[in-house]
Amino acid sequence: MDFLYDFLMRLLTQFQSPTLGFLIGGMLLAAMGSKLAIPDAIYKFIVFVLLMKIGIKGGMEIRDANLAEMLLPAFFAMVIGVVIVLIGIFVFSLLPSIKKEDGYATAGLFGAVSASTFAAVMVVMEEESIPYEAWVPALYPFMDIPALVLAIVLANIYLKKQKEGNETKVDVWGIVKDSLQGSALSALLLGLALGLLTMPDRVFDSFYEPLFRGFLSILMLIMGMEAYSRINELRRVAHWYAVYAFFSPIAHGLLAFGLGYIAHHTVGFSPGGVILLSVMAASSSDISGPPTLRSGIPSANPSAYIGASTSVGTPVAIAICIPLFIVLAQAVF
Amino acid sequence: MTLHVAEKVVIITEKIIAKGVCNIIESCGATGYTLFAAGGKGSRNNRSTAQRSSVVDDFANVQIEIIVNNYSMAEEIMEKVRQTYFKNYSGITYLEDIKILRPEKF
Repeated sequence: MDFLYDFLMRLLTQFQSPTLGFLIGGMLLAAMGSKLAIPDAIYKFIVFVLLMKIGIKGGMEIRDANLAEMLLPAFFAMVIGVVIVLIGIFVFSLLPSIKKEDGYATAGLFGAVSASTFAAVMVVMEEESIPYEAWVPALYPFMDIPALVLAIVLANIYLKKQKEGNETKVDVWGIVKDSLQGSALSALLLGLALGLLTMPDRVFDSFYEPLFRGFLSILMLIMGMEAYSRINELRRVAHWYAVYAFFSPIAHGLLAFGLGYIAHHTVGFSPGGVILLSVMAASSSDISGPPTLRSGIPSANPSAYIGASTSVGTPVAIAICIPLFIVLAQAVF
Repeated sequence: MTLHVAEKVVIITEKIIAKGVCNIIESCGATGYTLFAAGGKGSRNNRSTAQRSSVVDDFANVQIEIIVNNYSMAEEIMEKVRQTYFKNYSGITYLEDIKILRPEKF
């Protein structure tokens, strides 16, 4: 009972937090037909700055970290990415009126990681001053890439069986390259490298760090507007996508929390790291995943997977999963 | 001034495959093409132009125009693009008769 009370109180505080407030504000603006338009270039720039900040910070702190500790969590991140996709495909195969390849693509997107959700949880962690290992942001690609690759490979194997034709082989390296070249991951990896190899402390303290929260609030506004406008698209596909998108972030996060708990007891993975890993698992890709899936599984309907992820999955991950896993960590550890 | 008859192939399709379409155009032997952002409404939904930020920019549309002075090359481009992409991606293509000034350019 205490746990439930604590969770509800935390949820209430989250609703007042700038992160979620801006997200809901964006939805309201779009719902009321506001003409406010934030240009695309600004959106891209914001994503770039946020991921550079996370990357540089991680890189600067990795210098003094013991990377051997990272092995098990990185392995778990890969396992989570793969298992989420397999569960997703299985769940969609049980549901009626779902086109197979749409199910594969949606599962892949939910296995991949959302840059905006990840930035949001980083801010909450800082506000609550929960410590975590510096290399945790580097787990992002370990979960993101295997999920996308697996979903695309399985979908293509399935489609090939349907056609019995001798299609070209699935280009796995092409998918990996495509994910790494995506705007979110390339900024994160560049930031990590710069933080690790150069001395960016001054530009970090004077530019990236102070801008982070403000930019995140604008990103949340954009995500909110986008979430609302995608709901219409989601309405036109089977309603099961919305159901999956609502419950799966919580289930995926719990799975990651369980594995993180094992890592906590075996290699001393910090509770803060467990929270971040869980939110990563709960999130569904919204920036780099969709174009990769669109080229990898062209016959899948983008309205299904982007609608599910952007209009339901991401708000659930931010509004419910972030407070849920923080409370859970406080209860368990 | 003498004007010469030529063909213009117009392809309106998704930005995400623009690179592949341009490769087809070049492999068919066209010397160049013009590409610009497009928006509108079709059988597969509304597509806005790039004014408002959209989380997935690659799903925007582009219009590609190719001028060739050879009817069969124009047909080849259209047919190859249709076979390669139009089953899974949204797109339309049409041909226009136009007049050009310097035929040696095409």
